[in-house]
Amino acid sequence: MFLTKLAFKNLARHRTRTLAVGLIIAFAVFFYIMYDSLMAGMNEMSYEAIIDYETGHLQIAASAYWEEEEKLPLDHLIPLDLLRMTSLAEVQGYQGSSAELSFQARLNNGINELPVVGRGVVPEELMSVFPLSDKFVEGKMFALGEHKVVMGKRLADLLDLDIGDFVTLLVRDKHSTFNTIEAEVSGLVHTINPNVNNFVVYVPLDIAQEALAVGDAVSKVVVRLERKEQAPLASAQLEDKLRAVAADLAVYKWDDVDAISFSRYAAAENRIILGIILLIAGIAIINTVILAALERMREIGTMKAMGLEVREIVYLFVMESTGIGLLGGLIGVVLGALEVWYMVRHGIDFAALVQLDMTSFGVPVVGRIYGKWNPNAFITVFAFAVAVSFLSSILPGYWAAAKDPIQAIQHR
Amino acid sequence: MALLELRGVAKVYQQGRIAVPALRGIDLEVEAGEFVAIFGPSGSGKTTLLNLIGCLDKPTAGTLVFDGVELIGLDQKGLAKVRRENIGFIFQSYNLIPVLTAYENVEFAIRLLNRHDKRELRERVMEMLAAVGLEGLENRKPNELSGGQKQRVAIARALVKEPKLVLADEPTANLDSKTSEEVLEVMVKMNKELGTTFIFSTHDPRVMEYAARLVEIRDGLISSDRRRDGAVVSH
Repeated sequence: MFLTKLAFKNLARHRTRTLAVGLIIAFAVFFYIMYDSLMAGMNEMSYEAIIDYETGHLQIAASAYWEEEEKLPLDHLIPLDLLRMTSLAEVQGYQGSSAELSFQARLNNGINELPVVGRGVVPEELMSVFPLSDKFVEGKMFALGEHKVVMGKRLADLLDLDIGDFVTLLVRDKHSTFNTIEAEVSGLVHTINPNVNNFVVYVPLDIAQEALAVGDAVSKVVVRLERKEQAPLASAQLEDKLRAVAADLAVYKWDDVDAISFSRYAAAENRIILGIILLIAGIAIINTVILAALERMREIGTMKAMGLEVREIVYLFVMESTGIGLLGGLIGVVLGALEVWYMVRHGIDFAALVQLDMTSFGVPVVGRIYGKWNPNAFITVFAFAVAVSFLSSILPGYWAAAKDPIQAIQHR
Repeated sequence: MALLELRGVAKVYQQGRIAVPALRGIDLEVEAGEFVAIFGPSGSGKTTLLNLIGCLDKPTAGTLVFDGVELIGLDQKGLAKVRRENIGFIFQSYNLIPVLTAYENVEFAIRLLNRHDKRELRERVMEMLAAVGLEGLENRKPNELSGGQKQRVAIARALVKEPKLVLADEPTANLDSKTSEEVLEVMVKMNKELGTTFIFSTHDPRVMEYAARLVEIRDGLISSDRRRDGAVVSH
């Protein structure tokens, strides 16, 4: 107890140094908490962006189609008749579903051409699954049977298109024969999803089916639930229902999508990087202990003469370093909490900060990015900061305690 | 039985390939309660002898028995235990812990023993501070004390645990003559009142006047060992 008291008195001895090392740790802790909150917030927003404009909560597709989904094949499609036999609405949390025929196309304005993703949709179904209705910046949604398209405002800007302009979608049908869809631009949307803004052209489903020669088939059906947490249960229920209709159909949850799985790996990588930042704090602690030991060599000698054992002197240094870790950790946690509170409540307008449209960098954000509370991050990083401080002082502590007492006493 | 018994104690320091003998066969016996001054010119081996007696170093040859225990066979932990329980040190430069008050510096030594409850401990520390004339100064830190006061704190720290032996290496070297006398009088008083054995090194003739026994060292050997009354001590 007395040694612990002495260790904490020693912390006050070199206040500036203690504070400086504490602040290094505090910065690392603060940065980790802020970064974690921001990443969690961005992930949440990106999940919402993907769920709201691409995947919904569940997707029904043939498993063979799903394996090649990136290529948007026109094989392994689902006949709509089959799906009509399935009562999707009985699934827990069901809010709506949208049949979708996705295809590769080139969008031509008469002068220039860009590769795009065509989505044949039923307007009412689309609106029941994706919150597009308030995302129209110009024009409106088409109706089935109309030769009209809706696309992202950004894509329209790239091809210098306005409402009422005519475009041509160059496609290859199911038999690989070239075909075109001539259509008028009826609406422009701007969402928080960069894929929708930059690459997607919505086409009435019947027009798309006819141009692609796929009959009454669709690529997949997207289902919206009340909450994303209902996806596992709803998925199981839906699979049971589908098994009776078609064995090759499968249900894919929102988090089965590659982009979301990848974001988790990215988060793990970021934590390793932040771990390295805390290790730098550990090096600061080692440096501090060595410096303190050199300055207090005569004291170490005196304590050894008084009969203190090596482990007791090591304990003294370890307690001092742990004290710095506690101090830095607490400052970091308090500052981090304030920052997260601000980010959760007010968000940060990165787009305004960098004066750029963040969606053009693939960041699925329009306007402000909001943070997310993650108590685990607070606990983990605080414990890690204290543990790093504790562990990194043991070896230099031994180095100091093992000094010859006579030389230590005579040290100048 | 003598409190301390040295037989043929030698210490050789190796400086590269050169062996430098500091002590060349010391025979010395010190009884409990003695007040002994070790004197001699610089480099004669006084400090080396005190270091060996104080269990801070091990001799190259010879035997050293303290309170019936042969010290040569003890490891570092064993030597630390002897120092903690039985030996008090007084240093030339006081060597107080600067972040602790006078009270805490003295308390530190007795805390290591884990023998006293809180009340006993406080009484003992306050008594010791009063005995060395530091009543009322217990809350001062070393930088708020004069050299003499610091050395009194060091004496109190050395004595508070009631050690069998107190070793003092040139305890008055950093003090003026008046303060030196005051500090020595405190040491003599504690020797008489508590019966603690004192061994201190010095080369100041005025300091030697306080010693009951004078041991002179020259070139690593005891050249004379006599009591204040002139009687020669035989080994």
